[in-house]
Amino acid sequence: MNRLRSLHGPVLVLAILATLWVVVLAGLFVLKPTALGSATVTTVLQFSTILALAALGQALVILAGGAGIDLSVGGTVSLSAIAAMLALKAGMPPLLLPVACIVAGLLLGLFNGLLVTRLAILPLIATLGTFFAYSGLALALTGGSPQPGVPHWLLPWGRGTLGGIPLPFISAALPAFVLAGIVLVFTAWGRWIYAMGFNERSARLVGIPVDRTRLILYGISGMLAGIAGLVSLAWFGSGRPNIGQNLELESLTAAMLGGIAIFGGRGGVGGVLAAVVLLVTLKTGLLQLNVNTVWQVGIVGALLIFVLLADRLSQRWR
Amino acid sequence: MHRLTQATSLLTGRELILLAACVVITIAFASVSPVFATPENAATIMRNSVELLLIGLGMTLLLAMGGIDVSIGVVMGLSAIAVGRALGANLDPALAAAIGPLTGALLGLVTAAVVVLGRIPAIVGTLGLLGVYRTAIFVVLGGQWLSGLPTGLTEMLGTSLVGVPLSFWVIALAYLAVWLALRRTPFGLHLLAIGNSEEKARLAGISVTKVRFAAFLISGMLAGLAATFYVATYRNVEMTTGSTLALDAIAAVVLGGTSILGGRCSLIGTVLGVMLLRILQNGLLLIGVPSLWQTVVTGGLLIAVLSFEALAGRLSFAKLGWASR
Repeated sequence: MNRLRSLHGPVLVLAILATLWVVVLAGLFVLKPTALGSATVTTVLQFSTILALAALGQALVILAGGAGIDLSVGGTVSLSAIAAMLALKAGMPPLLLPVACIVAGLLLGLFNGLLVTRLAILPLIATLGTFFAYSGLALALTGGSPQPGVPHWLLPWGRGTLGGIPLPFISAALPAFVLAGIVLVFTAWGRWIYAMGFNERSARLVGIPVDRTRLILYGISGMLAGIAGLVSLAWFGSGRPNIGQNLELESLTAAMLGGIAIFGGRGGVGGVLAAVVLLVTLKTGLLQLNVNTVWQVGIVGALLIFVLLADRLSQRWR
Repeated sequence: MHRLTQATSLLTGRELILLAACVVITIAFASVSPVFATPENAATIMRNSVELLLIGLGMTLLLAMGGIDVSIGVVMGLSAIAVGRALGANLDPALAAAIGPLTGALLGLVTAAVVVLGRIPAIVGTLGLLGVYRTAIFVVLGGQWLSGLPTGLTEMLGTSLVGVPLSFWVIALAYLAVWLALRRTPFGLHLLAIGNSEEKARLAGISVTKVRFAAFLISGMLAGLAATFYVATYRNVEMTTGSTLALDAIAAVVLGGTSILGGRCSLIGTVLGVMLLRILQNGLLLIGVPSLWQTVVTGGLLIAVLSFEALAGRLSFAKLGWASR
């Protein structure tokens, strides 16, 4: 019975998110009518790209269960961007910058995966440690100062738009979500991920390579963070050591808001993308209303707790 | 059962190794920096350890039952603001001192309500609360520091009692209280049982909700007590007060031999973990490592210890006390 109802889950989640989004937009329209223009759409999607990539990785890791969580996403975004820029400074050919950034993210993610799968360290403590190590390294290696010198040919991609939609969103975030959606729904590998998250013991008993799949997922989460780091480079034209700040909280909130069950095995990536757009719209709206940015972290934190409490209550009512 | 009641011998292998590590890095730093091995610097290290020790005691309880609180440093920050405001309003120092633990307990109540009653995983719930509290600190402080607070509290805690400052007695009392609760009451036994397996503890008739609720409450109260000491020592409160304490505390407690998988803990280990961490941080600063590297070192140490434990466990080095006892 529960399984039957959960099929309606994704539609329900999307409906709720769409309603909330309209509420946010309406609120913004009432408070500041001038804020709603096509330029705002571009801004929102531009800001959404980095969070979307980080949140997708977070969602996949959580979906696969085993108390999976990636608190280091923000640190990975910062460190992969910084590592690529430092490599460039050290004489790496500029053409390799995108590859370096993505590979750096992949390696950092695989390191998390190794800690979790090979050494059986709890994901929350392993990625908490790497979160501080990665984000700390990004700051320490640069002394906290931005790293200029991103090659010029990269900037048009980072700043360009197509029909008002930012290029990074069309070419990186959207394909990543479509691909993830297709893999999750239509391939055996995707079914494995759900099976692992739903019941790891049974998944192992039917012969699913749980550890290898999980290792790959942490790697993918890191790689997506690396792509996010690359987007930040192409957008800002410099490597900012604190670009990933608060992403652990925001990506987690987006994943939960998007209907991913915290213990895994339930939820889809479509809701996550919708949740990202909702979150960024909310943040942009607050900025437009001149609310201090310090409020953002509090509101996102409160939202995270609220979503999980609401989920608990709705489970009790079923 | 054997596992729970054991570990009463004064020092286990793990703790001896930590003690040795403290001695070794002290000698190493002393040979490099002329300032390191001075009585003044020793006093600085001790003073800098107080808040971490108190928060570490609470974190030991949390980790031992398979919980965690990443917002605990900011809980101390908020409590410090309360103490600071009370002092600034010329409240009696004794009352101001009590406001710390009181605020901490109140915030611990919030954490417990969210995590235990709301049945949200501790890491996710406290991460959310961390965001909320960070905004709260900004709102309460209004972007300004509290500074130049009255010296009443500092003098009160410095009062000599049987030749030793009052602050020492308070810390010793807090340690003793947590030790008694952990080792000499059903609460401690239940806490460790929950850490071993929440499901089994529930089946054994332990009121899991009550025990977990109490642990978060105690942890909050200890963070509040830490806030009292913080204000007494520094007599100012900033936006960033306490922001690194949660990581430091988790690292110190894990270093001390308390298992994040729950069911195993050592209070002496936590004390030694705190000392080791603070000696390391102080020494690195003195030999000229920029302070930005501190989180890298702490985070790296945490990963290294956990990895080593996992590897040692695999090689069944259980005798050394590094693996699951």
